[in-house]
Amino acid sequence: MFSKIAAAMMALTLLAGCGMTDDLAPSGADNRGSSAALAVGDMAPEFTMPDIWGQPHSLTGQLAARRGVVLYFAMWCPICDSHMQSILRGPLKNYPDVDFLIVDYVSGTVEGGKRAAMSGGYAQSPFIILVDERQKVLNTYGATMGTTVVIGKDLVIRMIEDYKSPARLEEALAGL
Amino acid sequence: MNLASGKFSSRGEGGLSVRPALAGFVMAALALIISAPAPALAGSCCGGGGGAALVLPKSGEWMLDVSFDMEVYDGYWNREGKILPDAPGSDLKQFRLNPGYAKRIADRWQVSAVIPMVRNENFYENSRTTTFAAGDTTISLLYETFDVVTCVWSVESLEDLVPAAYLGLALTIPTGVSPFDGAERSFDVTGRGFYRLDASASVEKTIWPWTLALSYSYGIHIERPVNREYGHWVEPYNKRLGDRRSFTLAGGYTYFMETDDNITLTISYSDLWEGTATTGGEADPATGLRRRSVSGVLAFSNMDKSFMTKLGYSQAVKQEDWGENFPLTDIVTAGVTYVF
Repeated sequence: MFSKIAAAMMALTLLAGCGMTDDLAPSGADNRGSSAALAVGDMAPEFTMPDIWGQPHSLTGQLAARRGVVLYFAMWCPICDSHMQSILRGPLKNYPDVDFLIVDYVSGTVEGGKRAAMSGGYAQSPFIILVDERQKVLNTYGATMGTTVVIGKDLVIRMIEDYKSPARLEEALAGL
Repeated sequence: MNLASGKFSSRGEGGLSVRPALAGFVMAALALIISAPAPALAGSCCGGGGGAALVLPKSGEWMLDVSFDMEVYDGYWNREGKILPDAPGSDLKQFRLNPGYAKRIADRWQVSAVIPMVRNENFYENSRTTTFAAGDTTISLLYETFDVVTCVWSVESLEDLVPAAYLGLALTIPTGVSPFDGAERSFDVTGRGFYRLDASASVEKTIWPWTLALSYSYGIHIERPVNREYGHWVEPYNKRLGDRRSFTLAGGYTYFMETDDNITLTISYSDLWEGTATTGGEADPATGLRRRSVSGVLAFSNMDKSFMTKLGYSQAVKQEDWGENFPLTDIVTAGVTYVF
């Protein structure tokens, strides 16, 4: 009886996982360009978001006075904090003519974003912290935690990927 | 002999020798605790949901184990070890159902498998997401260095001090949904996406009613190619997570009831490290972690049916510098085990 229960339990588990499991033999094939998601070379969609002090910021507005813009999507977690510290120490200092915009897509309101930024110690940082109140920008860019986007003055996306290292980001910034 | 009377006999005088299942089961309860790895990297931001290794009692031929974990998030340690809160208004939880099976394949050898099912609940001010998927699977091979259980009622010779030791290998298989597979949001992640091979050594000694156990494990993640991140195809590169070490010290007390059932309370301290990952051969300074936690587990064993139920609580120690780059979580675990 118990062996039947065990078999059924395992079968259910496997069945439930079917189609949801990771690729057990991962591929290194270069499939860029084979999906509809935003990619390097695409035009960056325009957006307008308030910062944590209530001031609106648009992509074209930021680029009017800057060489480029970096978007970093954050949800106030340890990985985000680690990435943001890494950006603060390197790329942000080395590229003063680029705006570094942190997109808070989980706080929901300007006040919530302000509280999150203050408790995380970023409210007075050189980052411009924007609040994506309805996650519209998150969805438009197909972003998630750690997604880093580099946009040139010509609105062309130069990088869109998970944050890897300051060197990788600076490599993209150097091409602006 | 009434085990509850407190009149413990030495080995071979009728106490332990006629109750190998009892000793084996208590040892297994302890071993379950010290062999259980700390959560891989659980949570909405990090994925995770790896299973724990199972330990079959010496007298058992095979075993079924089902446990249920509820992990609640309460802030995190940043890289400097400072504790920071989660986003205001957030409510983050991960639930794991861990069905497992262990089988003895030789006198001193056993194998086991645990395939967790994971549900993520990530509630923020402006979004509520839930995900249900398989977690990462763990397959283990365990070698016992002893032929008979080493628990004693009193120490009368040096031989009575010989501990039980287990040497193990565990393979984590990335059956969970990782950032490098189909997941398009970090909220959907239930696995890390990497194979990992762990070698472990555990030593434990029971002098009734007390038990002391020590465990150490070292794991190596296998490098893999990556060509997709959260649904975005990217320029292919190779990635490898850092090596993982963990250490656990556990102490237990077993109370024997009139019915020969018993209850074991175990308190343990665990320390988990993971080194920095490499991306394209370069170290990623934003990775690496540390987590120190304390746990308590209450296990009830019914001797006749080789049946055990357990209830546990594990808490990341909420002290500055007691962790790095890792969520602070509390984990409640309930489970049942049946040995054949």
